[in-house]
Amino acid sequence: MTQVRFVGQRFAAMVIIVLALAAAVFALQKMSPLDPVHARLGGQASQGAIAAERHALGLDRPIVTQFGHYLAGLVHGDLGDSYRTRRPVTTDLLAYVPATAELAATGLIIALVLAIAFAFASTLRVRGAGLFRLGLMLGASVPTFLLGVFGILLFYQHFGWLPASGRTSIGNAPTGPTHLLTLDGLLHGRPDVTWDALKHLLMPATAIALGPAVAIGRVLRSSLEGELSSDYVRTARAKGRSERQILLGHVVRNAVGAAVSMTGLQVGLMFAGVLVVEQVFGWPGLGLYIAESIPVADFPAIAGVTLLLGSAYVVINAAVDVIQAAADPRIRV
Amino acid sequence: MSAQLAPEDVLTDEGYAVVATAEDLHVTFRRNGKAIHALRGISLEIRRGEILGLVGESGSGKSVLGLTLLGLHGAGATISGRATVRGRDMVSATDAERRAVRVAHLGAVFQDPMTSLNPTMRVGRQVAEAAGSDEEALRLLRLVGVPEAESRMSAFPHELSGGLRQRVMIAMAVAGNPDLVIADEPTTALDVTVQAQVLRLLRTLRDELGCSVLMITHDLGVAAQIADRVAVMYAGRLAELGESDAVLRSSAHPYTLGLMRSRLTLGVDRTRALPALPGEVPSPAAPQPGCAFSPRCSVAGPDCAETSPEPVEVEPGHHSACLRPLAVVRSTDTVSPVALTARAEPAGIDQDTAALSLRSVVKTFGVGKGFGRKRTLHALRGVSLQVAQGESVALVGESGSGKSTLLRVAAGLETADSGEVELSGGSRPQMVFQDSGASLTPWMTVEQILGERVRDLGRAARAAKVREALSLVGLPAEVGAARATQLSGGQRQRVCLARATIVPPPVLLCDEPTSALDVSLAASVINLIARLRRELGMSVLFVTHDLSVARVVADRIAVMYLGQIVEIGASDRVTSAPLHPYTRSLVSAVPDVGLTPVILPGEPASPLNPPSGCAFHPRCADATESCQDTELGLRLQRVANDDVDRVACINIDLSHVPTPVYITPKGA
Repeated sequence: MTQVRFVGQRFAAMVIIVLALAAAVFALQKMSPLDPVHARLGGQASQGAIAAERHALGLDRPIVTQFGHYLAGLVHGDLGDSYRTRRPVTTDLLAYVPATAELAATGLIIALVLAIAFAFASTLRVRGAGLFRLGLMLGASVPTFLLGVFGILLFYQHFGWLPASGRTSIGNAPTGPTHLLTLDGLLHGRPDVTWDALKHLLMPATAIALGPAVAIGRVLRSSLEGELSSDYVRTARAKGRSERQILLGHVVRNAVGAAVSMTGLQVGLMFAGVLVVEQVFGWPGLGLYIAESIPVADFPAIAGVTLLLGSAYVVINAAVDVIQAAADPRIRV
Repeated sequence: MSAQLAPEDVLTDEGYAVVATAEDLHVTFRRNGKAIHALRGISLEIRRGEILGLVGESGSGKSVLGLTLLGLHGAGATISGRATVRGRDMVSATDAERRAVRVAHLGAVFQDPMTSLNPTMRVGRQVAEAAGSDEEALRLLRLVGVPEAESRMSAFPHELSGGLRQRVMIAMAVAGNPDLVIADEPTTALDVTVQAQVLRLLRTLRDELGCSVLMITHDLGVAAQIADRVAVMYAGRLAELGESDAVLRSSAHPYTLGLMRSRLTLGVDRTRALPALPGEVPSPAAPQPGCAFSPRCSVAGPDCAETSPEPVEVEPGHHSACLRPLAVVRSTDTVSPVALTARAEPAGIDQDTAALSLRSVVKTFGVGKGFGRKRTLHALRGVSLQVAQGESVALVGESGSGKSTLLRVAAGLETADSGEVELSGGSRPQMVFQDSGASLTPWMTVEQILGERVRDLGRAARAAKVREALSLVGLPAEVGAARATQLSGGQRQRVCLARATIVPPPVLLCDEPTSALDVSLAASVINLIARLRRELGMSVLFVTHDLSVARVVADRIAVMYLGQIVEIGASDRVTSAPLHPYTRSLVSAVPDVGLTPVILPGEPASPLNPPSGCAFHPRCADATESCQDTELGLRLQRVANDDVDRVACINIDLSHVPTPVYITPKGA
């Protein structure tokens, strides 16, 4: 029963956020001096052609009607047609999302691995933890795009170990069913594709992962250390449990809560990082798509990307709540 | 008191008579860059099968001794001497050896069972970690009296009551039949009726399992109740050691004598100021040569400040570390007499001059988050109370009784759902809290904190006012420049009182102001409150869980249970001749030297779901069927032909025709 209510609450939140985002993007579009008709037809179009285009796009109707029409489309999964590509925005998104999703997911995995390694190494005072920490901090303090450029200079230009742009260098890479090259390569029995995709992923994913890794790692480390000096750990020691048993059996579950909420926050920031990094590495994802849509005032496209990322953020934070409730029985979702 | 086990009797059995020893043990650790000399050469032994009470004030090193025996003193400590358990030195042992000793020979019970249990692990698994298997864990939970043990195995700690949590801790401690259980203030966080149950459980387990218990406590009454022998510690050294009766009834050390005299019991003379020990416990950061107690001792001579006394046997089996002959110590009143001024005469309770008057106050809280899942916590269920001008009233009750909520409603910090709160004069009451450290802003100086309340005065007048307020609470003017963190607990509580009284309020509201303080400090703070009340003509409403404190500070005591007053009357009458069955069990649960407590079963019901009728009926030995009658509102009835004593129990045969004073609304 509580699960049903939880899902209902989150769905309501998503609807409200999507509505608010849609309204904001729509208002922005109306206030913008950029004229989409002008952008579509170019400077030399005749008055008649412009009027016809305005009518075709529905721009001659009252604003409220336009917004209502837009919302009605949203319900059916119709985000309108892109002014630039002249295809439905939904079709465009489906084409670009897998690349971004693959990059963001890899970035998140790298961030979590680094964060956990960082937190445990400093909590357990492992040799070299200080150096590891210094390296992470240095990396995280450099802006993402600069990190990307440095990476390209070092690992592509100088050593030639890693490719500098794109998702794959293999021409006949299989597409589908997931459109994630790492998975599709495995599903089609083409490990070379997966390996190649991973090499392409490594630099951009690491670039977006370093900042979140430090943020998550610091939170995890301080909760681990706090929990290690807590009363129940003293009880466990008095029982004669070993430090390993205490850390894994008692402390970790109590310590993850704060790190999980930090991860939820960082994923939001990571989306912004992904959009920048895609530019640097010529990654054919949403970042590239939106970067091409903004200069030509392709508002249906901009709105589509905004709504998609907003919804993803809500879903991720719902997942954060579920994980926290699973870890701590005192929290009920 | 159970029979003593003489060492020679048990030597034959498995070949050991002493379970654990401390041998010239010194423990020093660093905190904030300062060396804390926690233990400064302590030697004692814990005999097989005995309960040794380890008594001392905060900073005496008693907990450090317990942790060192457990081998949990931490890596930062500098230790010399030995701390052995079954012959194994826990100081020099490796981590693995220490763990093996803990598993085989030791068990531990700590103060706060909520934080000492892992909040995210089911209690069955936590016990099984120590017991080895689920079956053994279940057997242990049954052994320590956890009802419905099977279903409780899969409960999380927060789903259990405080008493049950401590029983779970005890089950873990006795898992694997340890030779020694180290219990560090195991009942301090519990209500007094639950404390009595837990103490009895520990004794019973000792009798059944034959383990020794090191019972660390600040409460001499608790030690008297449970211990065979008592060791008194002061400033990291042993002051006195012997049979419980000998140490507590015919103390040989001036410190123990002082503690016993300043200790609050239901028998102290409440017409005089309490004989508080002068001064404060010395800082463990800067130990002085000689006897650490000498600055506070009335029989100390110049030699005491130079020679550190070793414990010597003053009577058979009774050791005391004092340079003065026993006859001198016992003959002198070792407590420097603090002016024994008579207390203010209790004011008559005149309804017209009530300084504070509460009528049918109801207060509920919504608990739980989210929509539609809120449950209602019934904190106050129709409370009426008048405090006359200059009168002092104590609110007594266990956790969940609503006593603190009532105080907060009176202070205006909470708004009552219904009912009236009237303050005479209109100026606001002032409050003093339990945690004096947390209730003083850490970055402000004492002068700034006090000055806040007299902001409209000029600079010079304000400074003078602050000095005056500080001197009224017995603090030197230099304290004004200090911050709260630089002061001791006793000084901080005095600053809180100075803040409350710098502009004398009509009513002073006190929320357990002494329960975080050591015995000797608590007495002086209580004396101070009594003096302030008399000199400033204030009324006092004093919340405490401790009946002996209530008896001393208050003219009248109101006993609360689950949001209602069940009995109210003159302090002496309520504590010496309690009428309500709940008050009777509270009085008998107060631990004291030479008393056997009557143990009340069960724990207070949850204010989320108070029982119908008289809320106390599920625990009441005298309850009849009509006590749970849902139609029955709680009636406070006159006990005699006066307006002071009232009780809410339908089974008491009141000799006069009872006049219902008021009826709480049903279900309120």
